[in-house]
Amino acid sequence: MTKLAVVRENPHVIDGSASGDLDLKCDVCVVGTGAGGAVTASVLAEAGLDVVMIEEGGYWSAADFTMREKDTTPRLYQEGGTRATKDLAMTILQGRAVGGGTVVNWTTCFRTPEDVVQTWHDEHDVKGFAYADLVPHYEAIEKRLVVAKVDESTLNQNNRKLFDGCKKMGWAADTLRRNVYACMQTGFCGLGCPVNAKRSMLVTLIPDAIDAGARLVFHARADRFVTLGNAVTKLEGSLLDSEGIAPTRKKFTVTAKRFVTSGGAINSPALLLRSGIADDGRVGARTFLHPVIGSAAIYDEDIIPYRGAPQSAASHHFAHRGGDVGFFLEAVPWYPSLTAGAAPTFGAEHLAFMKRVDKTATHIAIAIDGFHDDVPGGRVTLRESGAPLVDYPIPQRLWDAFRFAQKRLAEAQFAGGAKEVATLHDPPSRMKSPADIDRVIDAASYDVGRVPVFTAHQMGGCAMGDDASRSVVRSEDLRHHRLENLYVIDGSVFPTSLGVNPQESIYGLSRLMATRLAARR
Amino acid sequence: MNRRTFLKRGLAGGAVLLLGGGGLALIPTKEQGAPTRALAVLGARSFQVLVAIAKRVAPPSADAVKISEGVDSLLRRAPVEVQRDFNKLLGLFENALPGLLFDGRVLPFTRLSPESQDAVLAHWRDSRLTIRRTGYHALRRICLAVAYADESLWPAVGYSPPPVGAFTPMAYDDSKMGVSS
Repeated sequence: MTKLAVVRENPHVIDGSASGDLDLKCDVCVVGTGAGGAVTASVLAEAGLDVVMIEEGGYWSAADFTMREKDTTPRLYQEGGTRATKDLAMTILQGRAVGGGTVVNWTTCFRTPEDVVQTWHDEHDVKGFAYADLVPHYEAIEKRLVVAKVDESTLNQNNRKLFDGCKKMGWAADTLRRNVYACMQTGFCGLGCPVNAKRSMLVTLIPDAIDAGARLVFHARADRFVTLGNAVTKLEGSLLDSEGIAPTRKKFTVTAKRFVTSGGAINSPALLLRSGIADDGRVGARTFLHPVIGSAAIYDEDIIPYRGAPQSAASHHFAHRGGDVGFFLEAVPWYPSLTAGAAPTFGAEHLAFMKRVDKTATHIAIAIDGFHDDVPGGRVTLRESGAPLVDYPIPQRLWDAFRFAQKRLAEAQFAGGAKEVATLHDPPSRMKSPADIDRVIDAASYDVGRVPVFTAHQMGGCAMGDDASRSVVRSEDLRHHRLENLYVIDGSVFPTSLGVNPQESIYGLSRLMATRLAARR
Repeated sequence: MNRRTFLKRGLAGGAVLLLGGGGLALIPTKEQGAPTRALAVLGARSFQVLVAIAKRVAPPSADAVKISEGVDSLLRRAPVEVQRDFNKLLGLFENALPGLLFDGRVLPFTRLSPESQDAVLAHWRDSRLTIRRTGYHALRRICLAVAYADESLWPAVGYSPPPVGAFTPMAYDDSKMGVSS
């Protein structure tokens, strides 16, 4: 099997920053190398098709993953980690590299909940597959990525506090399944695994695809598909400098029989829009973000929230709340730059907050958007420059869910032994005991710019479905309803959010659809 | 600020504007520290305003010029529209005229005392206007995120990650992992 150093020097891997104009021809061009693109490219290449992968980000590897945000965050996240929604209410954490979000995610693996697939079938005209069709693909991916359930004894303190707190409240909680092998518990999954223990696309299916003959061009930005009648004739793009920032003025084109966009839930709709494919406003609509709020708790004992697997326990106890928006609870690691931006206030008060790192555990509530009529998600549009802009007005019902969730987070934290709990409001709302929770949280303001909201899960924007008036691609094969050789294979096809961390949902669906595509060559 | 004060200041500001108070917008920015290299995104004035903000937002031991250079460098990765808006935001933050309208100050931000600067930051944070609150957070967050990316601040908060190179990456040879692919 290929080693990364070999892959990078493979003649099939082209660094766009060092290349002249490129004019490539292939059977299938795959744009994006994250969870959707890497799976698709490897399946198609292994089936004998000539595949070209296009990636805007850089080809970084373990040696570049220094556990330092300064070296990694700007390179590995969209817009250097500064991407936000239009009204700046929400910070968008989204990967950008060879391997996409899988390079920087926190390794949590869930199959798509069966009831979510059923909802798609019943309410969104997704008739092209059933949950049972996905199962063998989940199994194959789990084997390839060595997905295994975390043993409770290995939880770090950050996750232990959440797990114990939820159990004491009588809520369902469980350890998570992670895609790691021989994990050394460095704690830095979010900055790229420094030891290659994380079985991301970077070290698994991208090398597989290249082994099978696929080509990869990185530092290459897909600008637009050129269409003629009901077909895409070619992809046009710009090559970028060695930091993936500015165009080098060199261009590339890819001519292919089929085109797959796997840029993820923000960049795939943006690429279609730049190509003039708007489908009467359906492209970019219903973008779901699993919006997140946080709660910081101080304990007597050491937490050291940057050591050990950052995410290893969760509670889905509040995922189904009927008419109210559901959410799930997880832990997040403490990285200094990430935390400093999220921590409230400024100056001396901010410094005091930062100084309690060793005793602080931060837990989050992740809202499950897209299942209620008045929580319709956001919309991806284009800025004048062609870059994507995500407009996600947070509806009142979501703020209401945040207020409810904030109370549950505090309850779990106190039940787990917290001495003090603070929201991330600016200034923070502080609680000394469970008796304070209702009074303090009821008095807090839930509004734009009052409390920070984050997203690390981007979904939707190119919905699948069999009613062409409500969706962008067909559910049987994720082919565009009109363009006969254009496919969208990534998290943007989900008609709702998932209620679980998305990577495995994208792997499973992509593998099913790529297998079907390979069979139709 | 309650609604009445807000309106009163709005009216006062309007009067000042009519009387040629636009001159307030022309009070020059006070030099805070020169950049050590060419700037990619921030205008010269924006940079000075950002240095003044970084001095109040980040810990005293942090180097505000270095933070502002880091912000300039990071913003190269943002869309040009975001770069433009960030410069505009810094101009608005500095400008004494809106300062008079909303914060009751007659000097640009860079010419205020540290205490008054903190009060301006708090005014923006607590404003009824969404764009002032989100503007405050945009400025605050990027300064703090860049500041704490620098290891010089870590000992003071007790953050001690493993040294760079503490771990040797495994070769991901699947045959050694007992994984059949």
